[in-house]
Amino acid sequence: MSPVLYYFLSFTGINILMCWSLYLPYRVGQLHYLTVACMLASAYFSGFAAREWSWPFALIVVVGILIGILICLIPSFAIGDAPCFTVVIIGLTIIFILKTAVENSPALGGTIGFFGIPQVNHLLPLTYLLVVYAGAVIYRIDHSRLGRAASVVFVDKNTAAALGIDVKRLGMFFQVAAGALAGLAGTLYAFLIGGLFPEFFNLGVIGTLMCMLFAGGHTTMWGVIVSVPILEGMQLLLPSAIASWRQVIYALTLIVIVLVLPGGLVTKRMLLRLKGKVSGGISKCNN
Amino acid sequence: MKKSSMLKVEGVSVSYGPVRALENISIEVDRREIVALIGANGAGKTTLLKAILGVQKVQSGKVLFLGDDITNSSTDKVANMGLGLIPEGHLVFSTMTVLENLQLGAYHNPQDFNDNLENVFESFPVLRKRIHQTAGTLSGGEQQMLSIARTLMSKPELVMVDELSLGLAPKVVSEIFDILGDLNNKGYTILLAEQNAKKTLEFANRAYVMETGRVVLQGLTQELMSHPEVRRAYLGSNV
Amino acid sequence: MEIFAAQLLNGLSLGSMYVLLVLGFNLMLLVAKIIQFAYPHLVVLSMYVCWGVLRHTDNMLLVVLASVASCIVVNVAIEPIFRLLAKRHGLDINVSFVVSMSMALLITDVMSHLLNYGYPIAFPTEWVGKSIFSSGLIAFSAGQAYALFGGIAAVAAFFYLLYRTRQGRVLRAISENSLLSSIIGIPIIKTRVLSYAIAGLLGGLTAVMFARLLGSASPGLGDFVGMKVVAASILAGLGNLKGGLVCGLLLGIAESMAIGYLAGSWSNAIAFMMMLVIMLIKPEGLFGIEA
Ligand SMILES: Nc1ncnc2c1ncn2[C@@H]1O[C@H](COP(=O)(O)OP(=O)(O)O)[C@@H](O)[C@H]1O
Ligand SMILES: [Mg+2]
Repeated sequence: MSPVLYYFLSFTGINILMCWSLYLPYRVGQLHYLTVACMLASAYFSGFAAREWSWPFALIVVVGILIGILICLIPSFAIGDAPCFTVVIIGLTIIFILKTAVENSPALGGTIGFFGIPQVNHLLPLTYLLVVYAGAVIYRIDHSRLGRAASVVFVDKNTAAALGIDVKRLGMFFQVAAGALAGLAGTLYAFLIGGLFPEFFNLGVIGTLMCMLFAGGHTTMWGVIVSVPILEGMQLLLPSAIASWRQVIYALTLIVIVLVLPGGLVTKRMLLRLKGKVSGGISKCNN
Repeated sequence: MKKSSMLKVEGVSVSYGPVRALENISIEVDRREIVALIGANGAGKTTLLKAILGVQKVQSGKVLFLGDDITNSSTDKVANMGLGLIPEGHLVFSTMTVLENLQLGAYHNPQDFNDNLENVFESFPVLRKRIHQTAGTLSGGEQQMLSIARTLMSKPELVMVDELSLGLAPKVVSEIFDILGDLNNKGYTILLAEQNAKKTLEFANRAYVMETGRVVLQGLTQELMSHPEVRRAYLGSNV
Repeated sequence: MEIFAAQLLNGLSLGSMYVLLVLGFNLMLLVAKIIQFAYPHLVVLSMYVCWGVLRHTDNMLLVVLASVASCIVVNVAIEPIFRLLAKRHGLDINVSFVVSMSMALLITDVMSHLLNYGYPIAFPTEWVGKSIFSSGLIAFSAGQAYALFGGIAAVAAFFYLLYRTRQGRVLRAISENSLLSSIIGIPIIKTRVLSYAIAGLLGGLTAVMFARLLGSASPGLGDFVGMKVVAASILAGLGNLKGGLVCGLLLGIAESMAIGYLAGSWSNAIAFMMMLVIMLIKPEGLFGIEA
């Protein structure tokens, strides 16, 4: 496999997971950037455990997910129902603190980066298997009582509370689920890419993920499956002189999409229409 | 001589998204009149007042004020032309003082500020005593008075009052109605939107009865008060 | 003790810069109902403008004018984007944050591509100024004096404008109830644009003082200052101006103390850690949300 294709597939898989981990808390109206901190922590843990302690891959995946969960769980007791913007800043703050910790830890490579993470066989197919599995779980959550409750909370917290929804518990659940996804993404990232730099985990990566989420459509889980490959592919296909402006391209795309297509490329209404057509077609066949 | 029409609403329709709130409404208010809009909660009175003021977008029809077409004009322009609305719920800027509220009311009319203030205090003597008090600490009735006084500071040609009596004690309501009567004698034209039909019909010269976004009856208040449909639905008496 | 006094002075000068940025940020939040995350980035952009002008002239007045003008122009120029956004989404501060964060990324990336080849810029040493007072460890540079006294003057002028003038009353009215304001005839859009302009004015002045205080700037400075400013606003309670005054100063002092007593690269993390703890304990801020 050509390296370009390998990187394309790797980043697409990881970014779909990360977009989903932003998508879930956004169901209750929270921009939970803390997931990037989960990704950072679990990536560094995974790299370190694999290289220094030679832990088996499966164990690292499990612990990586647990780390993601833990990082989201502890603050969620305080910010499960906090205003969106407070959640944003708490996320950014924790990312910054973890980044500083990594930069000041020689054992983790400091600012130079952490390399030499052992390879895992058949990792790419395995990654996509995990993406599909994660997608199935998210689909179940979306179509459960929790998903419907989240839709109410998104529109109005007070109404939700009046309907007897425990807004805080619900928020905590989505935040922790997001942490698990980001933990998984972090572990996969460490093994797929093989090297880690603290500089990667900055505002830019959040901007990229936001662009992917909002361009695809934040109202359904399917949007990012369309937008992530397009935006990842664009970055690889463009000539490098233009590709070096990708931050600007992502930022502009995000602004334009939010202004012009408020729901993104794939919206709930579109899916319903699609569903109607398919089932309409089926019933026609049955006749 | 022909009576001068101050406000003319011609066939106005308004929707909130897919929901039609006003359907082809026409009303007219002449200079120095007191006109009432009565109708149950949800009939569309507030929507009509907001449409006149340009707060709510009009889908079709026309609003004429002093002969000018003001349909869908910007609210600050319309307010500047002399249309004053006293909104529902005795709204005041509660973190600001009574004086600051009145100063804000005079936004378009800063000249003669002191004279206007004097006039307003004559109508509402309580406000003079509370001039440096924070508006949020006033009683409901005082807030309604402040809300009216604030509108008067801009010397409007037409004063529109939405649900004057809502949430106020009957005694306070009577007091405010008296003040409005005085203002009318001084030359103000008044348009009242009210659920409280009895008091309003006694007070106004003419009225429009609204139901689910339409005008169903209109006429002089004396005539309406003896109309069997009005008596049954709004005055609570069995005919 | 001497370190403490020195860092307290440092902290007050730095803190007064944060206070100005918190005030500008909150003004737009209150009046225009947006989260302008890119505001500190615009200020850094104006620092670059100062730097550019300084290469041609050392006329202080020209530098200040250029900085203020650029900050006002850019801040007002992006207002229509937020107006269109409000038309599309209603006044949703979260969506405005998504857009302004994109703007922040855009500004940072443009700076790192086009300005000084992405390298940090350094202001002339006479611009930062010599120490005008020193005793032992305590040294008070001209730059610090500008930041501290300029900051106090600007904050005083801001509060005077807001609480003692007709325009200020109108700004407060819109921040309390924009629907009622429009009903009584206040031009909402015009006043919103005014709030962007005032924030731009504050930002332009801050850029000059910040340049004198720090003596350098880099494309990444915006993210850094932005996070602190926004965190300080949250600590105070979003939209709470007086709380912002206290928290901006406290942040400056806390950060300077951390720099004075701790190893370099950790000092910022410590400042963030303290803010984090308070935010987690009181997500609605110390003084209450007013937005
Ligand atoms: N902001 C709004 N969005 C959607 N529907 C509204 C809104 N305001 C009023 N309505 C609807 O429009 C109709 C008229 O309301 P309103 O003008 O407030 O009546 P009134 O003032 O007579 O009580 C009602 O059916 C109400 O539900
Ligand atoms: Mg009403």
